Amino acid sequence: MRFKRLNVMYFIFSLMGGLLVLFTLLPILRSFLAQTPSILIEEVTDKGVQEAIFNSVFLSAISATVAAIFGIPLAYILARKNFFGKSLVESIIDLPLAIPHTVAGILLLFIFGRYGMVGALFERFFSLRFVGTKLGIIVAMLFVSLPFMVNSAREGFESVDVRLEQVASTLGAAPFEVFKRVSFPLAIRGLLTGWILTWARAISEFGAVIILAYHPMTAPIKVYDVFTQFDLKHSSAVAVLFLAICLVGFVIFRFLAYGGMGKRRQ
Amino acid sequence: MIEIKNLDIDLGEFRLRDINLSIEEGEIFVILGPSGAGKTVLLETVAGFYPPKAGSIILNRNFANDLPPEKRNIGFIFQDYALFPHLNVKENIFFGTRYRRIDGIEEKFGKIVSILGIENILHRYPKTLSGGEQQRVSLARALIMEPNLLLFDEPLSSLDERIREELREELRIILKKMNQTSLFVTHDQTEALVVADKIGVMHDGRIAQVGKPDEIFNTPINEQVASFVGVETVLEGKVASNIDGLAVIDVNGIEIETVADVPVGEKVLLGIRPENVTLSFAKDESSARNNFEAKVTRLTPLGAVVKVSLKCGFPLVALITKLSAEKLELEKDKEILASFKATAVHVIKHGS
Repeated sequence: MRFKRLNVMYFIFSLMGGLLVLFTLLPILRSFLAQTPSILIEEVTDKGVQEAIFNSVFLSAISATVAAIFGIPLAYILARKNFFGKSLVESIIDLPLAIPHTVAGILLLFIFGRYGMVGALFERFFSLRFVGTKLGIIVAMLFVSLPFMVNSAREGFESVDVRLEQVASTLGAAPFEVFKRVSFPLAIRGLLTGWILTWARAISEFGAVIILAYHPMTAPIKVYDVFTQFDLKHSSAVAVLFLAICLVGFVIFRFLAYGGMGKRRQ
Repeated sequence: MIEIKNLDIDLGEFRLRDINLSIEEGEIFVILGPSGAGKTVLLETVAGFYPPKAGSIILNRNFANDLPPEKRNIGFIFQDYALFPHLNVKENIFFGTRYRRIDGIEEKFGKIVSILGIENILHRYPKTLSGGEQQRVSLARALIMEPNLLLFDEPLSSLDERIREELREELRIILKKMNQTSLFVTHDQTEALVVADKIGVMHDGRIAQVGKPDEIFNTPINEQVASFVGVETVLEGKVASNIDGLAVIDVNGIEIETVADVPVGEKVLLGIRPENVTLSFAKDESSARNNFEAKVTRLTPLGAVVKVSLKCGFPLVALITKLSAEKLELEKDKEILASFKATAVHVIKHGS
């Protein structure tokens, strides 16, 4: 038997929490209900809108994957080793969280612009440009979303008992074998969470992207573009389409990562 | 054969100094010491997780200090088993076999699995296993690698009392059967007695005394060792006869009656707690089955009680009240009768 006692504190806490949930949910629901079918169809069939949404989904996925490839090794080192300057490295990794996104875009321009260090190098040797290209969008997305990958992956590795790695090494496994067969599979949830958060952060990026590349357009920029050139009705139609795709993607990945909603930690 | 010479370890909070020990092939060496004595750190250093500050670790005549753990072939049994949770029992056992050539691997696997009695759980995952089963699996995973040395870090301490008693006897039998050289650490005296060929008592970051179990318990080298191992009398003997569970044990020609289910001819260790030994002038008609003429070698007052060290063909310690000691007019070299019941003798199977 469970006691059915209404505690005042829990009642008040639930009320406050409920308001928070509504605050998130209400604008989303309202925007779906506000749509005029004809405008929605007009925007769905618009080539520019389709392209922008595709760019967003695809480029953010690439950006999250690049973040994973470089972020996972770093996360493993941070989770397992102590070294001089470790807290400095940690602070640098978290820095993009504190930089306003338009500012991040400006900073990136210095390095990845046509005359920037990396920008000039790529132009010279690979004939690749960052400004106004998909490559630039990926760079902008990567910069603002990388902390999520590194931090989640690091948490994932920290949740793996060091002794499992030690026992693997006594059984003859060299460090990379230990990583591959023990640490990586056991941290997989943290890594997937990291990928999803990074992807979600990247797909929603506006400020840094617009400075490096107004064109080719990603969905957030398209929403802004339509808003300034047409009206709220048209831009909200694009917004809702993009939102729907983001939500579907988010639910699918969460399901893959946690094996169901609401089961955040085992 | 494993040799550890003048080993110094300094990990800040743990400091071990001048550790010297050698373990013969197939021998079970137990390091006995209170919790926090740094026993685990010693094992971790031998395994290669930490570098020693000074001294050497010699594995089969090879200097091993600089070898990483994966090249030492030293197995490690952790207190909490450390099974890989994402692999089933069979996959756990085979984890290391791809890194080392092991002849007749399938045959060996079958043998180990049947000795440990885990044939029926091979496809289960660690979290569905009981503590005892997990311990057997971790043992199988280490044994199949044919390690030069197998390290045990308090391997039985997280098991229930009943399973612990069962498993510690079995553990010795298995290790002896596999001729597995082992280094075992524990804070539990009984566990050390049951498992060990040789015991090293650790105190304050040093090995205070090394010897056979009966030597350590009967002739502790100093006060620290004595206070840690207690004053239990430990004797080595052989089962002379066993009639309906009343076993007579031959200890250097002296016969001691016990209640134990042990086969004739088997080697055993006997433990007699000092509070179970009574002293009197003449053989009275009490129920005690074991009565020996003894000579007092030493009297140690311990507050309200007196520790009486005796010699009666073997060393024996009695703990009696001060009042009794005065009544018996005990003094050094006094002759007296020492008695203890057959049921007061703790018989530990120790065959090889």
